[in-house]
Amino acid sequence: MTLSLTSALRPFPALSVSYVERRRLFFILMTLPAVIYVLVIGVWPLAQGIWFSLYEYNLLKPARTHFVGLGNYIDLLSDTVTRGAFVNTVIFTVGAVTVELLLGFAIALALWRDDRFNRICLALILIPVTITPLVVGLIFRALLLADYGLVGYYLAEFGLSDPRGLFANPSSALATLIFVDIWEWTPLVALILLAGLKALPGDILEASEVDGATALQRLRIIVIPLMLPSILLALTLRTIDAFRIFDSVYVTTGGGPGNATNTLMLHAVKQGLEFFNIGRASAISNLTLICIAVIAAGFILLIRKADRKANGR
Amino acid sequence: MKSLSSFTRKLAIAGLVSVAFAGSAVGADKKYEGITLTLASQNDQFAAVLAAIAPKFTEETGATVKVDILDYGSLLTKTTTDFVGGTGGYDLVTMDIVWAGQYAENKYTVDLTEWMKRDAAELKLDDIYPTLLNALGHWGDKQVAFPFAGYANVLAYRKDLFDAAGLKAPTTMEEMVEAAYKLTDPSKNIYGFVANGQKGPAVAQDWMQYNTEMGGSILGPDGKPALNSEANIKSLTVYKDLFMKAAPPGAVNYDWGGREESFRQGIAATMQTWSVGAPGYYDPSISKIVDKVAITTAPRGAGLPKVYGIGGWGMAINAGIKDTQKEAAWAFIKWLVSPPVHKEFNMMGAGSFLRKSEMTDPDLLKKFPFLPVIAETFEHGDGEYRPRIPQYPEIQDLLGTAVNDVLVGNADPKKALDAAQEAAAKLF
Repeated sequence: MTLSLTSALRPFPALSVSYVERRRLFFILMTLPAVIYVLVIGVWPLAQGIWFSLYEYNLLKPARTHFVGLGNYIDLLSDTVTRGAFVNTVIFTVGAVTVELLLGFAIALALWRDDRFNRICLALILIPVTITPLVVGLIFRALLLADYGLVGYYLAEFGLSDPRGLFANPSSALATLIFVDIWEWTPLVALILLAGLKALPGDILEASEVDGATALQRLRIIVIPLMLPSILLALTLRTIDAFRIFDSVYVTTGGGPGNATNTLMLHAVKQGLEFFNIGRASAISNLTLICIAVIAAGFILLIRKADRKANGR
Repeated sequence: MKSLSSFTRKLAIAGLVSVAFAGSAVGADKKYEGITLTLASQNDQFAAVLAAIAPKFTEETGATVKVDILDYGSLLTKTTTDFVGGTGGYDLVTMDIVWAGQYAENKYTVDLTEWMKRDAAELKLDDIYPTLLNALGHWGDKQVAFPFAGYANVLAYRKDLFDAAGLKAPTTMEEMVEAAYKLTDPSKNIYGFVANGQKGPAVAQDWMQYNTEMGGSILGPDGKPALNSEANIKSLTVYKDLFMKAAPPGAVNYDWGGREESFRQGIAATMQTWSVGAPGYYDPSISKIVDKVAITTAPRGAGLPKVYGIGGWGMAINAGIKDTQKEAAWAFIKWLVSPPVHKEFNMMGAGSFLRKSEMTDPDLLKKFPFLPVIAETFEHGDGEYRPRIPQYPEIQDLLGTAVNDVLVGNADPKKALDAAQEAAAKLF
């Protein structure tokens, strides 16, 4: 009787499950919204992008939609414009990220000491990061135009640039865009590396100083190995971002002169939003995604290996 | 007291009734009360005037017109996705002359043919230039947009510089090229020629104009691309030389804005342009050449027929909106292109002419003395020199890259046009 009464008093039979199971159910319920969000926002568009890339699919010519398999990819790989865009993107990424990392590290070292002057400097150098890349592009375009640009006019006047302006010369246009990216994003790299520097264990550094290690030795043997996670973070973030460069190129050169500054993302946007060629645009985006994934995986493996070697982790 | 109260009551009722009648009379006039039309407009000179004149349409009909002003790329992208997705975000859309093919093929907009037949008298179609009626919205057997802003390609030149050098206004391309070289003097910051050089639609469109005037053509007689024809290679060679020897150094970066600015600032002696920019040369607040500028018809290659480039915008109604919205949208188009409103539209500085009567209107002539040049251009207008075919955006992009490549010295005309032709052929 007592037993049946107890059973009757249990309003929710499901609650009779053990504490561990209930805890698991709770976690599943709590993470479900995030999982659904990722599926809807991330996985579904990605799957759709892969699906579209297998079709000749143009919004302006809906009647001509048909399955082409890897046709879009084969076309892209044999297309000189796409190959040129890929080369430009790689040059841009390697050039910009290398300089940003070196310069950012130098700035981080210079601002390492925690005093008022450095804090003010840090606040000031972060200004470029707060400006959207599109506006940065417009500012540099306005500054560097040969006829009306405040800087461009004098550069041309003193023979320091092509008389038609830095963006009009195929050999200087990409370098100028790299410079603009360095101007904007070096402070972010410096900030990430500075955070890494500040988290370094002070006792080890002090001990090495007492033991008579030079500044260069401390940097090479202690600082850089301990900083590897921060370096990896800065390197991965900036590489992914630089590989997707679009805004500043779009407003400064539009990919020109000719195709000298055409990048993969610019090419994809043009195919997708100008010609509404969804199949081809999806294929370019997927190729870009694969490149980014390979690069990021490579970095992670490389830095892990270095970290294990240096710190035994 | 009682009688007074009764009188007051009667007066009040009479007053209410009269107010109600008056209200219903106003209501009857305001046929589209409560309707809001959203108009996607190209950011040309007419856009601000459209926004300024729209409240008058509301006063007359009750329908509100919200003008969304967009740059060329955004206009094309936003309206096309609206059409394709069937979202009905825009009721009215300004349509560039070269989009007619894709509009018609994909049935994006309402075919106005029957409505135009029905309302022919009201529209006063005979007063509209036939070339504009055709080019700014007609495709096959459909009228996918109604013209409202006709642009004439004209030659704007510095009369003072031509007079000082003893030169006449050029009538042929050969004369124009010769004058451009003669008037160039970098030491005085004066250049004989300016045109769009910027990669993309800017350089493609300007070169296509010069190309036609020099006897070239984008399409062959079979309607297929013929980008690397002998005539096109020759005209691109001349165009490149003009940029190298007679244009301001930064011209390879210029789009329409930069080109017009250089002319208004007085550093270019000749410029072919759309008539829509002409009112700006006479405006002292933005122009340094108010008393020095003259406008004439665009030059043609010696011996070539008298045909001038025309462009401009039609107003289209989204096919994916409700019928009541379509009716109100058509009422707006009819209202905008009606002779008195369109005159007012141009008096307010839209620079978007349409009607023959506007060319002889004393008020407009007083304000815009160059109207006879526009009239002559419209009389002999060619709206097909930029091929109005569905593949046009891609062809324009190919030419926009190829011509820019040549102008910056990265490729020679033949090599660049050969590559563009190879890519264009794949589109057909």
